[in-house]
Amino acid sequence: MPEIPRLAPDRRRAAAVAVALMVGLGDPRPGWALEQPDSPPRPARPSRPAAPELAAALAAYRTYVVAQADAFVRETARFVAAVQAGQLAEARRLYAPARAPYERIEPVAALFPDLIKRLDVRGDEFELRERDPAFVGFHRLEMALFTHGSTEGLGEAAERLAAETVILRDRVAGLAIPPAKAVGTASALIEGIAATKISGEEERYSRTDLWDFQANIEGSKVVFTLLRPLLADRDFVARVERSYKRVEDLLARYRSPDGGFQSYDNLTARDRNALKGPITLLAEDLSTLRGRLGID
Amino acid sequence: MHSPAPVSTRRRFLGGLGATALLGPARAEDATPTTATEGTLVAQPFYGLHQAGIVTPQPAASLYVAFDVLAERRGELPHLFRTLSERLAFLTQGGTVPDVHPQLPPRDSGILGPTVLPDNLTATLSVGASLFDYRFGLARARPRHLGPMERFSNDALDPAQCHGDLLIQFCSNTAETNIHALRDVLKATPGLLAPRWKIEGFLPPHVVKTMGADTVRNMLGFKDGTANLDVRDPRLMDRYVWVGPGQEEPAWAVGGSYQVVRIIRTLVERWDRTPLGEQEAIIGRHKGSGAPLKRGHERDVPDYAADPDGETVSLAAHIRLANPRLPGTEGSLILRRSYNYSRGLTAAGQLDMGLLFVCYQADLSAGFVTVQNRLSGEGLEEYIRPIGGGYFFALPGTPRPGNYLGDGLLAAV
Repeated sequence: MPEIPRLAPDRRRAAAVAVALMVGLGDPRPGWALEQPDSPPRPARPSRPAAPELAAALAAYRTYVVAQADAFVRETARFVAAVQAGQLAEARRLYAPARAPYERIEPVAALFPDLIKRLDVRGDEFELRERDPAFVGFHRLEMALFTHGSTEGLGEAAERLAAETVILRDRVAGLAIPPAKAVGTASALIEGIAATKISGEEERYSRTDLWDFQANIEGSKVVFTLLRPLLADRDFVARVERSYKRVEDLLARYRSPDGGFQSYDNLTARDRNALKGPITLLAEDLSTLRGRLGID
Repeated sequence: MHSPAPVSTRRRFLGGLGATALLGPARAEDATPTTATEGTLVAQPFYGLHQAGIVTPQPAASLYVAFDVLAERRGELPHLFRTLSERLAFLTQGGTVPDVHPQLPPRDSGILGPTVLPDNLTATLSVGASLFDYRFGLARARPRHLGPMERFSNDALDPAQCHGDLLIQFCSNTAETNIHALRDVLKATPGLLAPRWKIEGFLPPHVVKTMGADTVRNMLGFKDGTANLDVRDPRLMDRYVWVGPGQEEPAWAVGGSYQVVRIIRTLVERWDRTPLGEQEAIIGRHKGSGAPLKRGHERDVPDYAADPDGETVSLAAHIRLANPRLPGTEGSLILRRSYNYSRGLTAAGQLDMGLLFVCYQADLSAGFVTVQNRLSGEGLEEYIRPIGGGYFFALPGTPRPGNYLGDGLLAAV
């Protein structure tokens, strides 16, 4: 569960919104149908909200991002400790939760491609595949833990990984996220789902893609919820929230008893197709956010 | 309405839209003038008794894309089909794309420029058997012979390249026009359609220029389509291609046609190492001229009555099995409208190229299925491998803008 950010009193309004989103918002109406936007779903003219309100929303988002980066350091440290102590089962259990804070803010982290290369690179991105010496980071450990079933010789790689998360946190803490980038994170997270999470390509060894999927959705929804009061088109807002709820409800069917998620391999073709619809619709709708807010 | 002789179907795009709108720049700052070649201005009609793209002469480029329908309720289907009809009508007639504010994603991909030219595009929408399953309550309206494509004895079907709820056949002068049309359709239907498989095909331009007078050659180097039904004969089309009222089909299906798409890989390395005489014996025609064996001209009709034991044209030859020309086999005539395809390599590193086989018929069982069953065991089987495709039903045409493709089907149940 993400931490509630601490804010100065004059940011209380944004904080209230941030708290509200932690509780979880959704469309209470039952039996919804995937209504279609007008074809094409485009606003006629962007309307610019008041600058202080937008600035407050972006500031609240920045607070959230820093909090996630902190959580990333903490959770990865727990994961790394288990690896270094040779506790295979515990390390496997802590792998996906360690990635969740990162997956919530992934497009912001991607502002530092040198770090991503060391944290989150996948074997299939290299010609030499998993044998490439540049294949390090989370997925290198993932392969060892889930495919080879061993913590042997992982001490140094694990320690490096923990160090990278600290560097990321420090960089994020000092970062002024450009408004277009912050707002664009909502759709960028959905594009990531559409490109690799929905196909199970991200977590090739652990099959924990549904954890990442859920975290991507949560992170996207945080941005949207902070911007929601600034959006004039209530039909648009309602449609986006219906799509989020549709995805969340589908994913919730794949929860495991310990509060995590089942293996991606359990996702039926029918449910994968059922996810494609709202994911595509979210990608299309959220791609208009910058325009609706008048941001270049 | 089907197309008579090719030249007379061409409708000048300029006449429909107005010269200034076409040739002027789309925006003040867009200084480069539009220089459209003659072919890009050709527009095939969209509205009519039958959909275009079936008896329309084949242009050089095609793109077949099958879709899964993601809609979950029957109530969402009218919007889907109406949207598809609107987009396909626009794309086949052309026009300018509305400008959008630069802070918003563009509505159009822009790969054809600011003015969409028709470029001889036809976009033919067909439905698959799975659309008539439990999801939308359409089972009672299913065309009689429409089921999922079965496996024939030589098939190696890849499920990822088979079947679909819907299929669109895009045909035009250029690959870009087809791709532009596909991207437009996807952009217009977020959350309603997911592409399932897609394949692109091509024809040699000299064939297109002579518009069917010079037969296409396939990847085996043989002329393909010599004895095809003549699309210029409306009586033949009504008998063999278009579903008619007396056929025990649902009323909404009249004016449509069963469509078969087969992705047939040809094992060209092995074929190219086969003696010419053996190639010709397998097919039943001379390679260069396309004439049936021992005959002089491509259009000569083989005389099987004088050759009962297959000493001239083998009993297992492809053309003889496909069309034995015996009393009673004339019911299995089909309209072929195939393309060549070429893409990638097989897992073994051989060339993945072959025939994008497409045919239309009024009766799927009497047509393609009968023909394909006759071909079972042909000598050609060692050189071909069907790997994908499906059975579909091309919807009847839509008469005017107030209607839409599939409205008869949706009203039927």
